[in-house]
Parts: sequence; structure tokens; C-alpha cells
Amino acid sequence: MSEYGLRLGSADVRSAGPITFGPAGILFLADNGSATVFAVDVADPGPAADPEPFDLADVDARIGSYLGCAASDVDIRDMAVHPVSHSVYLSVQRGRGDAGQAVLVRIGVPDGTVTDVPLDQVPVAQTAIGDAPAEDDERQDVTLPSGDQGEEVTYGGRTIRILRRPIRTSTVTDMAYVDTDPGALLVAGLSNEEFSSRLRRIPFPFGDDVTGNSLEIFHVSHGKWETAAPIRTFVPYDHGASILASYTCTPVVHFPLAGLAPGSKVVGRTVAELGSMNQPLDMVSFADEGEEYLLVANSSHGLIKIACRDIDGQAALTTPQEPVGVPRETKDLQGITRLANLNGGYVLALQVDGDGRRHLRSLKSASL
Amino acid sequence: MSRVAAASIAWSQCRGADCVRLSGLAAGPSLAAGLSGLATGPGDLAAGLGVEVRPELDVVADGFPAMAGRLVHDGDDVCFVPRFPFVDGTSYTITVGSATAAVLTRPRPQPPATTQVLAIYPTAAKVPRNLLRFYIWFSAPMSEGYAAGHVRLVDAASNEPLTGAVLPAGSELWSADRRRLTVLLDPARIKRGLTAQRQAGYPLRRGEPFRVVVDDGFRDALGRGLRGAAERSYAVGADERRRVDPGAWTLFAPSGGTREPLEVEFSRPLDHGLLARCLHVTGPDGQPVAGGAEPGPGERSWRLTPRQPWAPGGHRLIVEPVLEDVAGNSVSRLFDRDLARPEDRPGPDQPVAVAFCPR
Repeated sequence: MSEYGLRLGSADVRSAGPITFGPAGILFLADNGSATVFAVDVADPGPAADPEPFDLADVDARIGSYLGCAASDVDIRDMAVHPVSHSVYLSVQRGRGDAGQAVLVRIGVPDGTVTDVPLDQVPVAQTAIGDAPAEDDERQDVTLPSGDQGEEVTYGGRTIRILRRPIRTSTVTDMAYVDTDPGALLVAGLSNEEFSSRLRRIPFPFGDDVTGNSLEIFHVSHGKWETAAPIRTFVPYDHGASILASYTCTPVVHFPLAGLAPGSKVVGRTVAELGSMNQPLDMVSFADEGEEYLLVANSSHGLIKIACRDIDGQAALTTPQEPVGVPRETKDLQGITRLANLNGGYVLALQVDGDGRRHLRSLKSASL
Repeated sequence: MSRVAAASIAWSQCRGADCVRLSGLAAGPSLAAGLSGLATGPGDLAAGLGVEVRPELDVVADGFPAMAGRLVHDGDDVCFVPRFPFVDGTSYTITVGSATAAVLTRPRPQPPATTQVLAIYPTAAKVPRNLLRFYIWFSAPMSEGYAAGHVRLVDAASNEPLTGAVLPAGSELWSADRRRLTVLLDPARIKRGLTAQRQAGYPLRRGEPFRVVVDDGFRDALGRGLRGAAERSYAVGADERRRVDPGAWTLFAPSGGTREPLEVEFSRPLDHGLLARCLHVTGPDGQPVAGGAEPGPGERSWRLTPRQPWAPGGHRLIVEPVLEDVAGNSVSRLFDRDLARPEDRPGPDQPVAVAFCPR
């Protein structure tokens, strides 16, 4: 793991965020509490798995049973599948408030065993994600830290240790690793202040240029209006040369990434609109009989499947019409909040049913 | 499985950690074997003593794992020390040799609520129809996961909630200390041209007042509700689609040699969050002027009281290009721009300086 810059240490995740696999079984974890991305060797014990389906009912209650809490205290924030063993990794926040704790949960495939993945004394690297306040930003909250965090300040004859924390934060909404040379982690985020539209490209192994570079992203709808567009969810496309991204009712937008200078502006090509009063929750691409497809989980429109060749052939949308953009099939599968490639033959979905219970469910690629 | 029974099972502490203590165990032949290695994982628990702990769940099925933890031999007792802390108010079933031996419930302390909403921004009485966001300040750190259920917009006339007005954020936008929550109105209903905007319309309606309500079910970081609900009322005006233009502001220059504040009046309300970090003043030497800055009522003005008396000579108010108004229009760009209007093209992504001279 040293070739990727990982050293023995701890990934001290305060608030569980998105996760995604990188090279050599390294998992990236975003911590939305400390605006940090960790790269962790998860040392997955599983052998290479067969391309079989995997279903697990009541995954939240199972995890609650293991973590010793109610299912309602298990907040599953993201899902990733190990590329070799196909074990399912879940980014979980157990409990809320001060009692809350980020836990990385591994579900063994095919036996469904639940374990937590150690984040202490493991090979780890980390990088801060931009948006840290300037040194002279006076607007920082001062707290009394535990341990040796923070800085020493002397008031009168008394020295205390204080911790300054910025008010401005960036919340990671999605991440993906692209196997370019060098490899890079793409990070989409939402600022709690400016309506920014930055996509960070962080070289991996993490270097001295810890914040990577960022691209300001706009999308054009119907050739008429241009809008800054923070990204909710995205997938790499064209082997990392571009991405397909979506954000809250806004179009599915194709953004080229290749050859762009740091800090430059990218204008995306709107290829589809998925309908109103709807929010895209997750995206995944999969192949079936040599064709590549995009699958989008939505808050109210079920599961939408789009053929990538239609995306490639879609001219930028220039007039508002219904249906808008590329042809799409809508699957009557409600309640799917997360998607991941399980193996070549199946896409794994995290699905919440009418009673609020969460299940893992395999969707056969050929039947989608 | 040999028969194992315990005379008493209770909450306790073991070497400083919360645990379930099993005392007076009467063991069959396998107990010694089960304890000899001091089990380290749930699998070992089942294989050894057959002691398992499970939280009470609404749904239980075969194959649910036991709670992660380890058994520790403490004197004559055996303690179950969980990997993850027991949760207040949750019941746990302790089984010994697959038979239920006890059900214990963690007490839930009910301290009185002390946390309250300190402020809701904007503080202007009237907002544009394309208002983009609110900020809610709390007096103490809060818990995540309550914003969607406990912050709402309500039509002032009908008292009905404005459904779909607020962005159903998958992830809530908090300051690092969890005291300030940013609430975005659904941008897809504000951006022109999008299906959502055309079908559902703006989240707000011009001329129809509304209230932002934070109810007392919003939990603080200790799990307590608020001391009371909080709300703020707004009138709704016309859309705001102009870049923030520092050239249109009025500066009231202070008297030289004094510590009078520099007063800046904006041409319209600006964003509360960004206002606090996007304005700076530099002196004749180009160095920042240190002092106390504060926004004025309705976020329509800003003042800087210098720590040292104003030096003679030219000063500059430096405006960061990301400074936005309440509708998300910044100094450098509009929130959404009509491509047919060349005058709305994004400006340079550079700070803007406004010169002034103390009188």
C-alpha cells in the first residue's frame, strides 16, 4: 500500500459520507464532519466471487442488531461493492448528535455476514477538501478541544488550548475514482454558503497539492439559460475523460474533463431531463451485451435506464419539450436510494419499502 | 451446548467501560473452555459461553447477528463489553445458551431542553421570489437528520405548508460545529427553463407572505428538543436577477484620525453567510485594516470599526467576487442567466475594490 502513499494510522471519520473504491481495494471515505477524504486499505478477506445475485432483507435491522441499536439509528449514507470479493461496504452513521458515530460496515457475499471494518491502525492516507477558511478569516467558532487538537493561547497568566473551526463547510455529495494516469478522485460537493459548482479533481496518490484542482461547472438548459450547478450525483464516463452528472430535477448533463486547466469553467451539454418534483439519488453505469447503459435512481420517478449510445448521439437540448432528451425506460422499481455494480451480471440496489425497511436487492443487468 | 445459567444479570462497569455483568454463573463442562481464551468477537461468544446480546428491533429474522462485543472475565463474573456503546432508551435481550436470560433497558435521561433558535436569516422583511436560502442559528450544537421534518415554510394566509419548497437535501448543510444550518430552496424550481420550474413554478409566490417555522422537535446534539418553536415572517417581492454591484453602494467615510466606523449601505440585501467573510478594508499601505465588522439590519449594510484610528490617505473596500445577494447572484455572475442578454455575461472572477478616503 506504500506505493499509494498509505501509512499505518487512523481514519477518524466524524460524519459518514460517500464512499467509493479506488485501485488495489483501497476505499475512499468522505468525512463530512472534518471535510476530509480518507483512503483506507480495507483488507477485504473475501475470495474472488462468482457473478451471482445477492439479496439481503432488512439490512438496516441486521446492522442495528450488530451495532446494538434500533434500525432507525442506522443511517446508511452510501454503498460500494468491492471489485473482487463483491463484499458490500456501507457508510453508516450510527446514532445522532454527540452520540453519533461513523461506522464502515462490510456485508459478506454471499453469506450476508455483518462486520465492521477497522479504521484504526490500518494503512491510510488523507486529504483535506478545499474550502478551508483563509488564515485571516476571523469568523471561526472557537471550542475547547479534547486531547491535543488545536492551538495554545495565553490569556493573562493562563494558557488554554482552543480549537478554531470554520463556519464555512463543504459537504461531499458524491465521489468517483477514475483510472487515468495518474489516477484521480473526483469529488462533488455542496457549500453551505456560496452556491458554488465546483468539482474537485484530486490526484491519487494524494500529493502535496492536497486540494487538487477544481472546475467550475455550468449547465445550459434548452440553449437558453446557463446555471451554476452543484452536482448531486455523477458517474465517470469515457474512461474518466468526462462525467455524466445530475442535480435535483436538473438535467443529466455531460461534462468533458480532459485537457482542462485547473480552475477553468466547464459548460455541460444537457442530454436529458428526468422530470419534475424529483431528485436523482444515485447513478451507475453497467454493460449488457457490449452496450453501456446508465441507471439513475430517483426520489419519485422509479429507476430510469438510458443507453449511452443515445447520450453520445444526443445534441444539446435546445427547446423545452416533453419528453426531454434521450430515450429512456422507466422501471417500476420504487424506493431505490443507492446503486452499485455488484458484478458483470447484476446491479445491487439499496431499496426502502413502504414500511421504511431497507433491503439489498440484485437487479439482473440483462433484465433491466 | 451445555446448560449455563446466571443468578444475576445487570448493567455494570468493567474496567471503566459500560457492560452487562453476568454473576453467579453455574456452568456446565464447556464454560471453562469458553472462557479460557477470553472471546474477542461475536462468533466466539456463540461458540463459547453462548452469551449473546441483541438490541430490541421491530424486525427480527433468522441470521441476524448478535451485538458486537467481547466477554471479559472479571473476578467470578463474566462481562459483555460492547464494541459500540449501548444506546439510551434501547432495550437489550441477553441470551445464555440460546435461552433468554434477561431483558435490560438503558435508562433515558430526560434533561430539560435548553437549546433555542437564536436567529433566522435573512432578517429583511421582504425577500425576492427567487430567494435561494435561509440560515438558522442555534444556541448549541444540533443533531443531523431533523431538518427535513422540523423546518418548513408555511403560507401565511392559509397556514398550509409550502410543499416541495425546500430542497430535500440528502445531506444537511451544517457549519463545522453544527450550530448553523443552511436551508436551500429547491434550485430546480428557481432555475428558468427547467421542467420543474415550468411545471411546479417558483417555491414562493409574489405578494403571498409566508413564514419559516422551526418546531421544537428539532433535536440538539444531546438529543433534547428545543425550548420552543421559532419562526420568521416574510413578504415576497419581485425576482432579483442582477449581479451584485459594489459600484452602486453608498460609503460613509469616517473621520480621519478617529475610530469611527466605516458604514457601507448596499443597494439591496446581501447573503448573511457570505457577508461576514467577503468584505475587507485595506489602508494606504495596502495592509488589511483590523477591526470589528458587523452586518446591519436586514443585511442591507455593513460597518467596520477599526482597532486603530483611521490613517490619512486612500483606503479600499475589497469585495470578494463570490459575495451573493439572497437570490444567489454574485458579484461575478448571475444565479441563472439568459444567454440572449450579453450584459449578463459573467464578470471576471476577481475581487472588486471601492476606493474611499477618511474625511
